[in-house]
Amino acid sequence: MNKLVSGDGRTHIESPLMRESLVDRRTVARTHSEREHAILPDVTLVSLGGQSIFDRGREAILPIVEELASLVGKHKLVLGVGGGTRVRHTVSIALDLGLPTGGIAQLVGAMEEANAVFLNALLAKHRSIVMQREHFWELPLYLENGMMPIVISIPPYHFWEPPPEGGPLPAHGSDFGLFIHAEVLGMKRLVFVKDEDGLYTKDPKKHPDARLIAKTTLEELEESMPEELILDRALFTAWKTARHVKRVQIVNGLKPGMLSRALAGEDVGTVITREGR
Amino acid sequence: MRNTIDSSLAGATMTDSSAAGISYDPQAMMPDVKVIKVGGQSVMDRGRAAVFPILDELVAAKDTYKLLLCTGGGTRARHIYSVASDLELPTGVLAALGGYVPRQNARMLQMLLARHGGLFIMHDDFEKLPLYFRLGCIPIMTGMPPFGYWEKPTENGRIPQHRTDAGVFLSAEVLGAKRALFIKDEDGLYSDDPKKNPGAALIPKIGARELLNRDLPDLVLERVVIEYLTRSRFCKELQIVNGLKKGQVTRALSGEDVGTIIYQD
Repeated sequence: MNKLVSGDGRTHIESPLMRESLVDRRTVARTHSEREHAILPDVTLVSLGGQSIFDRGREAILPIVEELASLVGKHKLVLGVGGGTRVRHTVSIALDLGLPTGGIAQLVGAMEEANAVFLNALLAKHRSIVMQREHFWELPLYLENGMMPIVISIPPYHFWEPPPEGGPLPAHGSDFGLFIHAEVLGMKRLVFVKDEDGLYTKDPKKHPDARLIAKTTLEELEESMPEELILDRALFTAWKTARHVKRVQIVNGLKPGMLSRALAGEDVGTVITREGR
Repeated sequence: MRNTIDSSLAGATMTDSSAAGISYDPQAMMPDVKVIKVGGQSVMDRGRAAVFPILDELVAAKDTYKLLLCTGGGTRARHIYSVASDLELPTGVLAALGGYVPRQNARMLQMLLARHGGLFIMHDDFEKLPLYFRLGCIPIMTGMPPFGYWEKPTENGRIPQHRTDAGVFLSAEVLGAKRALFIKDEDGLYSDDPKKNPGAALIPKIGARELLNRDLPDLVLERVVIEYLTRSRFCKELQIVNGLKKGQVTRALSGEDVGTIIYQD
């Protein structure tokens, strides 16, 4: 039974953190444990690229929609989508106008949401639904009924986007947002559907000599992180302290069947795993 | 074939923060707003003895300055973090749960300040700040940033790294305010927790990098805030004052360097 404690001018509730400075490393470390409750461990998050898939129109989107429709009921999937070229246009105008980084972060999510509505319009008859942020805890309801929820990919950092390192662009984009979404729910894996076979040593669209990295670990990537990445750098930083996500896979959505094979556990595309823990 | 809109970033991967070759001259949105944190454990949990005199000073200043009040959590947030840690819940869940308490505290201040124009606002109301100030109101919001379930996992612990100090600093940064004010129950930053170590010395002025380099186990503000201060574009100074000492808030609002100033070095 907790009791109220006073005597120093403040009224406290008795708890192991009572009177403590939550900034103190020693206090924070006391809240650590190796285990963590996994909220929805058997779910996979699938992200469809904005520029890589959506901006290609029906030729790229419709085959993936068909493939997703064939996967309904076989896997518990949560979907997310990127924003693509309209995000780049938004940011380019916003930078020219001199809007603060937090202001840019506030703007960009609208383009991802628009793509989520596009996808839902095509997938609705196969039981997809666009999730509003405040409906966070309704995910099990949809998943248990064989539906495919489409979540908002941009994290809600908005005006409160932290000052970025090395430039003015918000660091917390849709890849990062979906990663954290998967991690907080205790999911073990994410699949990113892009228009390249996976992660390359350099941007393969600009460098013909770029090599595909078929299999790697987060630890190896840390040591030789490619300059140009196919996923948000912030995703890899967050993964270092994550507890649940074990596997991030990148597949080519322009090649039919790759997503299904990835979901079946095959090592197609690029597979990044995390050692330890 | 990608249907691409031509822009300076059309071919960019956008996976990090750099925008090579693009000139960027950021504009301050509302640089004259005073973003003020009212501490949770340090002020709110002390009840009227601490809260009323601080509100008197803020009300006296409200027609001179645009005040945006943000609240901390305090002992109820500690209780939540403590129970949630015991249940081994993820940091993101702790961050979402930790949001409830500062919102309660913001509502308490709103009730006390209603007759002076106190308005409880949510994150989504942020763009209406110009209206509230034009009307002579005192907007009051939670100090917690809206990250919630999207808070990053904390290394070696579960307590969210971005809590109410971070929200206050980030609000000041996006508004373009040079200084953020933190009202606490100590004179400022000390070399150790002054409540536990009577030998702790007050540090009146210190650079953010210098402070991080000291690698103190405890800090007066959340660690991420000091880290962000090393690379912020607008908010370059954090001021910590003792709200229990009459006049400190008023002096800080008028620009005096009372308490501790942590600056971008």
